[in-house]
Amino acid sequence: MKDLMRIKCLISQDIETLLNQQIKKEAHSSSLYLSMSSWCDQNGYDFSADYFAKQSEEERVHQLKLFKYVLDMGGNAISPEVSGIKTDFAGFREVFEDALEAEIAITQSFKNIASKCHKEQDFVTMEFLNWFLKEQREEEYKARRALELFEVIGEEGTGRWEIDKHVNKITYSEQ
Amino acid sequence: MEKACIDINELINVFSNTQGSIYQSDKLNCFYIDFGGKFARYNCLSLQKLKKVVENIDVEALLLNTTKADFELVTFNGCEHIYLLSALEIVALKELLQGTFTMFKLNYMVNDCLNRLVY
Ligand SMILES: [Fe+2]
Ligand SMILES: [Fe+2]
Repeated sequence: MKDLMRIKCLISQDIETLLNQQIKKEAHSSSLYLSMSSWCDQNGYDFSADYFAKQSEEERVHQLKLFKYVLDMGGNAISPEVSGIKTDFAGFREVFEDALEAEIAITQSFKNIASKCHKEQDFVTMEFLNWFLKEQREEEYKARRALELFEVIGEEGTGRWEIDKHVNKITYSEQ
Repeated sequence: MEKACIDINELINVFSNTQGSIYQSDKLNCFYIDFGGKFARYNCLSLQKLKKVVENIDVEALLLNTTKADFELVTFNGCEHIYLLSALEIVALKELLQGTFTMFKLNYMVNDCLNRLVY
């Protein structure tokens, strides 16, 4: 008997489902960052607004990268519905706390997919995921560094103004 | 007509239960579901979609809902077939599809061992 399912598609249904869930999570991240950008802009944190707008764009790129992979492998990529995006934040600091929390959740999610790939011996998808695993290093680093500014600079006086100015300058390099 | 189709296209019985059967045609690269008085053709994608749709039906809720008959329409966009199934039939179709996909998995492993990984 021909293996019709395998002829049609490189990835298993389980992996396809996980990747589609990840597509949705990246779309959610993108919308959340945009929401953070809006909040920052309205509260006078211009540099942070730019920073989050850029992050939002990056998440969109992540989403499309996953989307293309699923399709290229012969799977069914699903355009996700995104709802329940937080639009109000208690303060400047909470925005950054939420951003780090969101990145941690994404890292965990990728680890979960990677673990499934190992179980199935899907080394092709594993190799594809490596890019994202590496990307999460940078994403978490930047989010953590940003939050640390609140400790280093402090929020009193012109502190928030100072923090806002520094957010855009955070960069990550491996060396 | 069903019998004729099975003979002409040399259909392989992938999985059967008391309510129906699913066949594969290596000649036409497609599947046939013999279920609910229907003999319907599916391709890979539509068979996967049907499985998802059937698995998403909450049979328990269907039985507990007293305002509605215990029947459910089973179809999806782009599907040429519609099934009107009772709760019991849904359970049977679910089993039929799950059994079929388990056989696919098994076939995949057998293909690996017999064809793909030999040198
Ligand atoms: Fe991302
Ligand atoms: Fe991210």
